[in-house]
Amino acid sequence: METLVADVLLTFLVVIAVGIIVLRDLLAAVILLGAYSLTAAGAFVVMDAVDVAFTEAAVGSGISTILFLGALSFTKHEQKPRGNDSWVAVLFVVVTGALLIYGTLDMPYYGSATSAAQTNPDLAVRFLQQSGSEVGPPNIVTSVLASYRGYDTLGETMVVFAAGMAVLSLLGLKRRRPGLEAPEDAPGDTPGETPADALDEPPTSRHT
Amino acid sequence: MFDLLIMAVSWILMIVGCVFVVSGAVGLVRMPDLYTRLHAASLTDTGGTIVIGLALIIQAVFIFDNNMAAIKMGLIVFFTLFTGPTASHALAKTALLCGQVPVDADGKPILDSPEEATLLARSRPADYRHGEDAKRIEDEMDALNKKRRGEG
Amino acid sequence: MFIAGILALLVTMALTLWRTLLGPTLFDRLLAVNSFGTKTVLLIAVYGFMTGRPDFLDIALVYALINFVGTIAVLKFFEYDDLGSGKYQEDDF
Repeated sequence: METLVADVLLTFLVVIAVGIIVLRDLLAAVILLGAYSLTAAGAFVVMDAVDVAFTEAAVGSGISTILFLGALSFTKHEQKPRGNDSWVAVLFVVVTGALLIYGTLDMPYYGSATSAAQTNPDLAVRFLQQSGSEVGPPNIVTSVLASYRGYDTLGETMVVFAAGMAVLSLLGLKRRRPGLEAPEDAPGDTPGETPADALDEPPTSRHT
Repeated sequence: MFDLLIMAVSWILMIVGCVFVVSGAVGLVRMPDLYTRLHAASLTDTGGTIVIGLALIIQAVFIFDNNMAAIKMGLIVFFTLFTGPTASHALAKTALLCGQVPVDADGKPILDSPEEATLLARSRPADYRHGEDAKRIEDEMDALNKKRRGEG
Repeated sequence: MFIAGILALLVTMALTLWRTLLGPTLFDRLLAVNSFGTKTVLLIAVYGFMTGRPDFLDIALVYALINFVGTIAVLKFFEYDDLGSGKYQEDDF
């Protein structure tokens, strides 16, 4: 029964992902992304990864939906029709995907009896008993993440940092929205004018 | 005997909830128009959550002997009782505001134009809160009707 | 009992997903996704009881609230084409 639920949820994930790719409307894609993260989090719960499911629910379904909506408010809802995809790009994507799938072959299967966690059962016991005196924090997950596999976490943080720097360099740090620069040359700030001059223009009314 | 009664009650509640939920999904797929779909989905969503939640609360209290789970399940039901109808109302209102015209049983639109749907959606709270807004919207509605009568 | 509930919920999720992919307007999709989220909440709850560990209901609780917040955020975006960056805030509330 557990496997059936996990399989059906993973099938839902594939269907939603195909739907996101096919749909031309970006707002519909954002709505579907919310459903995608809810389903992914449900699959995580079924696979007993409760902490990951919490993160996925809060970040994937909560924050990123709102971030995508904020990004959409600066652009249009419709995706532009694409030209011909170049063969180099398709080849690159296929090779990268094949490499990623090849990388997963080394991982133990779901519930495998020969996975590292099953063949070294005393490791979990050792973490549970001694992590408090060895590392300090009462939360064992924290001490595993920050100390026992600290170099892994360092690498992950570097990847996230590099992604953030790439996004910032793409967006450009200097450019600002015009509304934020307004106080520098607002008429009320210059010494020669009275603040009443700034109120001359009529207030913008809604729904016009 | 008591256990049997508890199991029977939670079985019945669970089956009723499943019927609610599945019929709501069938209505969501088969209904012809946004508002009828909304009707089918929102009612059965809230009702199904309440009934299935009751079944789970009974199970948690009497079979699992886990009062914390019962309280959490009760909170889920409580929140759904508020958020479900609120979300449905907001969705219907926004759809009307964006010009989705409801249709009647024969598939004919009830309102004549999307603009009228927008005016209808905007008129309700304005009636209560801002007198001038209500008057302005009424004027716009009159102008729209006059224009349509002039065309027809 | 829980197996029957889970099967019904999975069928329901499949049907709502069908409406999500089919839906002619954005509101249909949003309605279907909202319904889908509620069904996910129920599925997690019933699944927790089925495996005999109803301690993960916190996640279902979080989902119920996040689903609502997401729906309301998208609806607000529909209404104002914006997430409230100040254009409409003065006289709308």
